[in-house]
Amino acid sequence: MWSVSDDALVAGLATGDQQAAAAFVRRFQRRVYGLARTIVTDDRAAEDIAQEAFVRAWKHAAAFDPRRGSVVSWLLTITRNLAIDAVRVRRPVAFDPDALLALDPVADGPDLADLAQLGDDTDRLRAALVRLPTEQRRAIVLSGLLGYTAREVGEMEDIPLGTAKTRIRTALIRLRTALVAEERTE
Amino acid sequence: MSPLSCSQVQESAPELALGILGGAERAEVVYHVDHCARCQAVVAQFAEAADALPLLAPELEPPAGFETRVLARLGAPKRRSRRRLVIAAAVAAAFAAILSITVVRVVESQTGGTTSKPVTVAMAAASGKIPVGWAYVTNGVSVAVAVDYGIGVPDGVYTVRVDPAAGPVHDLGTMTITGGRGSFTGKSPEPLSSGSTISMVDASGTQTCQGTVA
Repeated sequence: MWSVSDDALVAGLATGDQQAAAAFVRRFQRRVYGLARTIVTDDRAAEDIAQEAFVRAWKHAAAFDPRRGSVVSWLLTITRNLAIDAVRVRRPVAFDPDALLALDPVADGPDLADLAQLGDDTDRLRAALVRLPTEQRRAIVLSGLLGYTAREVGEMEDIPLGTAKTRIRTALIRLRTALVAEERTE
Repeated sequence: MSPLSCSQVQESAPELALGILGGAERAEVVYHVDHCARCQAVVAQFAEAADALPLLAPELEPPAGFETRVLARLGAPKRRSRRRLVIAAAVAAAFAAILSITVVRVVESQTGGTTSKPVTVAMAAASGKIPVGWAYVTNGVSVAVAVDYGIGVPDGVYTVRVDPAAGPVHDLGTMTITGGRGSFTGKSPEPLSSGSTISMVDASGTQTCQGTVA
């Protein structure tokens, strides 16, 4: 069962195959729980979210379209959205923006050609993230990973909303460039 | 078509792709995108990178019994065989070869198959609540720290310090952060129980981040 591809597992999940469901959970539970825990920073809430993510994936497996992205991205997007919804309800105030100021500008990172040599999307994304200017890196991690809105990023960084939006946009464009550059070399 | 222009919608496209656009604004943008092929294409481009961002989160071992509880909700059988465990270990090893920092596995390999489940400790930046990485405690004494977000911790060399709930503070060794990331493994001379802290201290003696054992 473990040699089955991710796509095939989801297909099995969609048909109600119980073995596929079990293998699916085992394969992705660390990633799903890890992402949920990262965003909500609470063990119990993270488990609730991770469980719900698997339930939703199970319910919507038939609608999964492999042409639109990988299984892991699909599942983690479900997880992230659930976690962000939970944080929005429970988070009373944004955290201290001063903590972000401790960042140092990143030194030399790999150039785009080197990025293309890296093994998978995660490696390339990490490498591309390191190459971003610090303020863009902070903005994209806060918004893209932790789910803070542009307004919240602006408040935490003490910058105008427009500047926060620009940082998020520019960072996302650069990250996409790194990912697309790789695809073109394949 | 909504009152929003294409340029207005495309301005919001990154936030829509990241899922951080809220309320009425999101509804307006989504309505426009649903009816505009050009804006759909723009959002799709941003979504390509946005969808990959969650991959940056570290993998974490869920609480004991997680798999069983999930499968119960899915109506799937609860299978617990030795073969499954062996295969799962092989899969975990394969993941370890791919991912850069997977601290739990480091701890497990050092203890040779411990019977004690690692305790997860979230490391947060000292001046706020920004998660910067993770610490793990296995068998009460084996400590692993991973900083993996690229935010909150400047590059440099840090002392990894443990403060047992009862007993003196100990410095376990140093940890180098490069490009916002780094990892450390060591052993505490005294058991770390609930309330014990693990912190990273910079060269000036300032605590940069800390986690507390739950």
